[in-house]
Amino acid sequence: MTTATNLRKVPLARRFMTFTWGVIGIVIVTLVVFAFVQPSILVDTLVTGGMWALMAGGLALVFGVMNIPNFAHGELFMIGSFVAFLVFSPIQKAILGDPTATALQVVGPIPGMIIAALVGFLVGVILELLLFQPLRKRNREGWVMNSFLLTAGLSVILINGYRLLFGNDYHGFPRYWDVHPLSFFGVSVSVDRAMVFVIAMSMILLFSVFLQRTRTGRAMRAVAQDETGAQMAGINLNRIFMLTLGLSSGLAALAGAALLSIYPSSPDVGLQPLYLAWYVVILAGLGNVPGAIAGAFIVSLLQTLSVYYVGLGWVDVLPTAIIILILLFKPSGLFGSEVKGVWEQ
Amino acid sequence: MATDTASTSVARTVALTRVRRNRVFAVSLVVIAIILPLIPPFNGQDYQRYLVAAALMAAMATAFDFTAGYIDIVNFGFAAFVGVGAYTAGLMAVDFGISPWIGLFVGAAVSGFVGLLTGMLVLRLRGIYAAVITWFVGLALMGLARNMTQITRGSLGLNVPLLLDSSDNLPYYYIILGMLFVTLGVLMFVIRSRLGLAFRAIGQNLQAARASGINPTRFLVVNFTLSCAFAGWLGGFYAHYYGILTPDIMLTSHTVEILAVAYIGGRGTLWGPAIVAFPLTIGVELMRTQLSALPGLHLVLYGLLLIVVMIYRPGGVAGAIRGVGHWLDRRQEARLDREARLEETAEPTV
Repeated sequence: MTTATNLRKVPLARRFMTFTWGVIGIVIVTLVVFAFVQPSILVDTLVTGGMWALMAGGLALVFGVMNIPNFAHGELFMIGSFVAFLVFSPIQKAILGDPTATALQVVGPIPGMIIAALVGFLVGVILELLLFQPLRKRNREGWVMNSFLLTAGLSVILINGYRLLFGNDYHGFPRYWDVHPLSFFGVSVSVDRAMVFVIAMSMILLFSVFLQRTRTGRAMRAVAQDETGAQMAGINLNRIFMLTLGLSSGLAALAGAALLSIYPSSPDVGLQPLYLAWYVVILAGLGNVPGAIAGAFIVSLLQTLSVYYVGLGWVDVLPTAIIILILLFKPSGLFGSEVKGVWEQ
Repeated sequence: MATDTASTSVARTVALTRVRRNRVFAVSLVVIAIILPLIPPFNGQDYQRYLVAAALMAAMATAFDFTAGYIDIVNFGFAAFVGVGAYTAGLMAVDFGISPWIGLFVGAAVSGFVGLLTGMLVLRLRGIYAAVITWFVGLALMGLARNMTQITRGSLGLNVPLLLDSSDNLPYYYIILGMLFVTLGVLMFVIRSRLGLAFRAIGQNLQAARASGINPTRFLVVNFTLSCAFAGWLGGFYAHYYGILTPDIMLTSHTVEILAVAYIGGRGTLWGPAIVAFPLTIGVELMRTQLSALPGLHLVLYGLLLIVVMIYRPGGVAGAIRGVGHWLDRRQEARLDREARLEETAEPTV
């Protein structure tokens, strides 16, 4: 199987410092400008950007550590949204039956999200055991491309399996928290969106702390840098792979659960999150986790601007065109290093 | 010395038999494809419709394999290029009243041109980057078809005149079968030419190919453009056969279907995907009509087959057929060897 030598020569943290802050600065300036012109653009960018960051961060992590370009990442989003729907339905009935239960109203949506994330984690671990381990054993060359096609097949199975079992209907709720919208600087923001933002930010924080400060996180980064070296240092590769895919899948499922009120669950619900996450990852440079988190807000800004000023349907066209233009000038992505690595295969 | 000439003559005989066997295999498949719609149960209108779909899928999978199997670039926007050809041919007929027969080739030209632009943009990148960017290009093309409703009528669907006056499926089958043979013939001819040698060199080892004086990007673009042009040509047939066009033909899931057929058939062979497309598509179409209560089941099967092939049988069906061929070769070789040895031992007594 392929090793990730040369993928990263510069340590993650330093690269994050040098490249990313400049671009984050530009995005923040743009956002501040729009905050005066059209404040809701700022809100939409931050809310969806946070969730794309969760999606793209997981996608980048899986590529960095396991060299799998995951095409089925959106289907974990779909699974998360459906699990959250299943869990929240009875809770919502209880809330509607007893409008005085304020405590239930406040914490009601939380279990759905937690269970969705856990189910996502489990699905990730199962996929690693069922698909990627056998492929890793048998594969001789072209691991990146083969695993990509494997996930393409997986995505077709999951989408149509969902369609077989639960039909084409939309499953969702208009909102999780049925209370008055909050108001920030004269812009009203629904509690749902605010919560989505809070969840995304806290998860990103937890995720970065995990990667930077814990032993397991360090082991993961070690595997991303050099598989053989990590193995020599006594890291159990299979365990790290399982954990990585589980973590990434759990984050995607959490994103699906949290966005249930905006993206009601259906077989195709994962498609847009999937390609937006891929825009982010390609824009940031494959396998670059901090870059992906920053890139998520850039893509989300492009998405929001094209929705506001051009039209809903053009979301597919304009960001793509801009991303392709950027890649023309910097093929390895905005935050990508110039080191050619496994993706060349 | 004597054994040396004997072994070369054995190798010669084996090679000659192999060539003859391959020729018989190919000719019998062609004959089967031609007479199939005349044999029951395939002579009904339903089955003939499935056969048309199968031949179309075979041709598309062949064109897909031309890039995926030889230069190792997976065109994830392939369905979008089919769609570009389909829309071009359809709009030519609807807006300008141009004969569909000419429209097919205009569709091929336009799709090839879009492929050329995409290729020049994408093919500096390799592997997964190229796959993902072609996917983005496909998404953007589908977005254009969705949104330019004044031209394409978007998801309402564009009504396209049919290729022939009759709605009988049999003539359509022979047209698409002819198109399949042309696709296969042209692409196989290219692969066997010097151009094809360069493609294979690039696909196997880019650095080595570059070192031996090949300018990879130019060859990659030629290959990609040719594949896209065939995609557009076949898209034109799609438009004029089904008579209605929606942006849905450009969906990524459609690309994955074509990709699954190409990989199950065996990448890098051209004929493997073409053969496998027939049983697969007919089975899928039967499943879709017989089990209409279970939508999506056929796609689940496609996905499962793709995964099983990717993990356990990377050579696909073509690999299995080749395996049978090698087995026959070895058997014949052993038999000839035995005969030669018998003759040698028998010689002194004569």
